[in-house]
Amino acid sequence: MPPLLLINYHNGVPVYRQIMDQVKFQIATGVLPAGSELASTRALSAELSLNPMTISKAYGFLEREGVLERRRGQTLVVRAVAPADLEANKLDPLRQHLATAAVMARQLGISRERALKLFRETLDSSTS
Amino acid sequence: MTSSSQPSAPFVAKKLTKAYPGHVALKGLNLEIPDGHVVGLLGRNGAGKTTLINLACGLLLPTAGACTTLGRASGDLDTPELVRLGVVQQDARFLEWMTVRQQLEFNGAFYPAWDLKREQRLLADLELDATRKIAQLSTGDRQKLAIMLGVCHHPALILLDEPVSALDPIARSKLLSFLIDLIREDGSTIVISSHLLSDVEKIIDWVVCLDAGELAVSAPFDELQETYAEWVVTAQAGDLPAVFSEPFVLAWEGNARQARLLVRTAGPAVAAFRERYRAEVTARSLNLDQLFPLLIKERRTAG
Repeated sequence: MPPLLLINYHNGVPVYRQIMDQVKFQIATGVLPAGSELASTRALSAELSLNPMTISKAYGFLEREGVLERRRGQTLVVRAVAPADLEANKLDPLRQHLATAAVMARQLGISRERALKLFRETLDSSTS
Repeated sequence: MTSSSQPSAPFVAKKLTKAYPGHVALKGLNLEIPDGHVVGLLGRNGAGKTTLINLACGLLLPTAGACTTLGRASGDLDTPELVRLGVVQQDARFLEWMTVRQQLEFNGAFYPAWDLKREQRLLADLELDATRKIAQLSTGDRQKLAIMLGVCHHPALILLDEPVSALDPIARSKLLSFLIDLIREDGSTIVISSHLLSDVEKIIDWVVCLDAGELAVSAPFDELQETYAEWVVTAQAGDLPAVFSEPFVLAWEGNARQARLLVRTAGPAVAAFRERYRAEVTARSLNLDQLFPLLIKERRTAG
């Protein structure tokens, strides 16, 4: 499984955070189902020319948060979670984006009703 | 990885002072370079970066205070330490009449661990022609050779002084990914000084920032990224103040309607701030180019 991680080095977001967010996103979207193996720190470092310390840090946090677990040996795999939790986890990335959108709506002085309508329209137009 | 008999910090400075006639380059510096990290040594011109590197490899002796490199006083480094130390200087000197290959063989002969495979790989990656005479090399090619001479013996500690400044963008990015290979393959500690912050921010995980011969900060890079932020503040009702007196606000510009603030991350203080000024706040992270002046400013106001 090739890791699809896109790191932005110039936006100031710590690289370990970007890795954590993208792994979580891949789990939420089903790209990484429960039990799937993650690339080793070494392999990922070689592939992306990333500092191995940074990858270890990201993996370490994901393990502590219960997103990943260590199998016998060293392999890190995606931990199985209850279907209800998986559904709830899917909302997290969307919530973050909507929070940003909400701030922008208030900055622009757009009313609740107008903003909600726009979100509905956007949902509809992107499915058609 | 380095042997366990070594102390954990490959370079330690204690009250390290270096004075030149009429100028003090380092003023009582206390610093530990952490083992196994890629350290960005940052600072403006004249901040003391090159002096520090030259002290660390024994080319200069301290005026006062002391420093140790790989466990030994930096001025007394001998074969056991020198074979584990790699130095890439800004204006490296070569035997000009030699070819690149001859210079590599000449230097390689001093090191039992000289790695011919690595040498081959670097010649290919950096596109350096080994048959060329050194006297005829361009500035960029001289820099490539200096880098090769500094890393082919599997050093445990590598000191690079502005190693990428004369390289073109492709050679720069190849060199930076090669440095990543070095930590993976050798567990080396790498100290890299550079003005090109956007280049080094791809690989460093630790920041040492010098300012006018003093230490401004020594901290994990991601910790600094999470400590500071930029806020765009937009008034929702009424005007923004002319002065922001909150202690976490380090700088600001703007007008009554909208302001851009540089802050030491206030976390829960955002809500109170928003309430107080009846304003919306959008927070953004800062990259190294944006962080750097803040680190300098913080030291100056603290000192």
